[in-house]
Amino acid sequence: MVYTKKSPALLVIGIVMLAIWYLAQSGMMNGYLEHLAMGKKYKMLGELTTLPLYFGAIAAVLGAWQLFGSHKEGHFDYYSSTIAGGMFILLIAMLVRWFIAPEVAVVSTSMGKVGETGKYIHKLLGLNYVVLGILAGIVIVNVFKVPEWAQNGVRLSRLGLKTGVILLGTLYSAAELKNLGGLSIVMIGFFVLGSVGMTLWIGARRNIPNSMGGVLSAGMGVCGVSATVAAAPVVQAKSVEIAYTIGTILLWGVGCMFIFPIVGHLFGMSYIQFGAWAGTGILNSAQVAGAALAFQPDGIETLKVAEIFNITRVLVLPIIVLWLAVWYVRREEGAQKVNVGEVIFAKFPVFVLGFILLFALSTTGIFAPANHYKGKYFNNTTDFKESKLLKAEDKATLQAEAGKVQREDRKAALGRLIENGKVMSIDDDDVLRGLVNAKVMSKDANKILKGAHKAVRHTAKKVKAFRNWIVWLFAFGLTGLGMQITVASMKQAGGQPAVIGGIVGATKAILSLVVVLMLIGDKV
Amino acid sequence: MSENKYDRGSALSIFGSDRKEDFMALVFALIIAFAVYVSY
Repeated sequence: MVYTKKSPALLVIGIVMLAIWYLAQSGMMNGYLEHLAMGKKYKMLGELTTLPLYFGAIAAVLGAWQLFGSHKEGHFDYYSSTIAGGMFILLIAMLVRWFIAPEVAVVSTSMGKVGETGKYIHKLLGLNYVVLGILAGIVIVNVFKVPEWAQNGVRLSRLGLKTGVILLGTLYSAAELKNLGGLSIVMIGFFVLGSVGMTLWIGARRNIPNSMGGVLSAGMGVCGVSATVAAAPVVQAKSVEIAYTIGTILLWGVGCMFIFPIVGHLFGMSYIQFGAWAGTGILNSAQVAGAALAFQPDGIETLKVAEIFNITRVLVLPIIVLWLAVWYVRREEGAQKVNVGEVIFAKFPVFVLGFILLFALSTTGIFAPANHYKGKYFNNTTDFKESKLLKAEDKATLQAEAGKVQREDRKAALGRLIENGKVMSIDDDDVLRGLVNAKVMSKDANKILKGAHKAVRHTAKKVKAFRNWIVWLFAFGLTGLGMQITVASMKQAGGQPAVIGGIVGATKAILSLVVVLMLIGDKV
Repeated sequence: MSENKYDRGSALSIFGSDRKEDFMALVFALIIAFAVYVSY
């Protein structure tokens, strides 16, 4: 059988990509991009003026070859038949990331911020390119059907996701662990492992498939999309189960984001207590940030603690994957037949070893300075450009408004900034970010403070490049994953994931609240 | 049977086994990591 279809589809996809590139490059799209950027600079212009050119040219050339060339059956034909589908997914992912997701943000922004969270609906619901990519895939498969020429390519989506998970290792570093005390590591470990165990236990009692229980446990235990994606192949999860897990996590997080700050104020929690609780109990990063800012709108102390807790959960990921690998084989094949050592050797996913390898490389500091924190690093001592120092008029603006600042630490940090023309330490940077967040000073003054922050703290170029790769691999993988989710498969999965997610999430939130109130004071 | 001679995958993957897919993902990731390392 010859798998490569003599279809014009790949050629057309290439031409469409080249047309997008031309419209962006020539400036003919500027008006629309300005609308999407809502008065700011359109952030993805760099991608828009390069990627469609490269991929469009490749797709056009290969499309012409597929349409006009002759194809014989064989290994080469089998693998080359995936190109059309792969490019189809990529085109949809491009449209979602560059146009649809920003358009959703425009509509959401026009509706205003939600309560005290200070965030817009699309941020709270996580309606970004990831979720919209899955939705786009679901619409395509259920409304239009995946065309025959694209079907082989859709099966590449898991490869993209696995590659993305391996590269995730580059964004973390063991250096982050030094920010944590012993109690927080114990707390994260306990609640992550506890949530995974509880989800698996309830899942078994409610008779959901092992694959569904496995992937849901990783999502509920660790955090959001990355963990779900990493655990899915180990438990042979179906596309619909992955999508259900992501949906459950996001919906649960929305509820938490509103309830957590209210409970936090009711119990009179400190910033550190609330940060630890939100970082443990809420699963999605954006929603953790939303809850922390809602609790403390005038500073970022809570946000910082919550972020550290949230990020560190990812470091438990390899342990969870190992556990799920053994658990899944035991459940599927019967406990008496299983030799744990053999299972680990035979089933342990190599891509998780890849994640650990890149995490280890990242820890050595070869991708970014050793003190980098999720890509952000402080650069105040070497190669600091003169042009980035505050100008005399900026200093005058800040000096004129210095009287508005009441807190002593903020006064001191502001004084040092005005004196030196740059932020002098990481501590000062944190204090000044809190000052911006508190909106004590005018918009102009806050803009100057934000500029000073950017001058000393920015993302390392290599880390930025890795992030872009991960973004695209996840966008590609999840859009393709959406194309495997039919309405029939959704009906089959039923509402169990949401029920189990709710039970586990509520238990974790209550227990972690108790632990935080009992054991955490002003220090972590 | 002969029709599927070269199709070694499943509904979710074009590869014959998870491990093969994992290795391919690892190879791609290392190539990307190396490219990023040398070009930035």
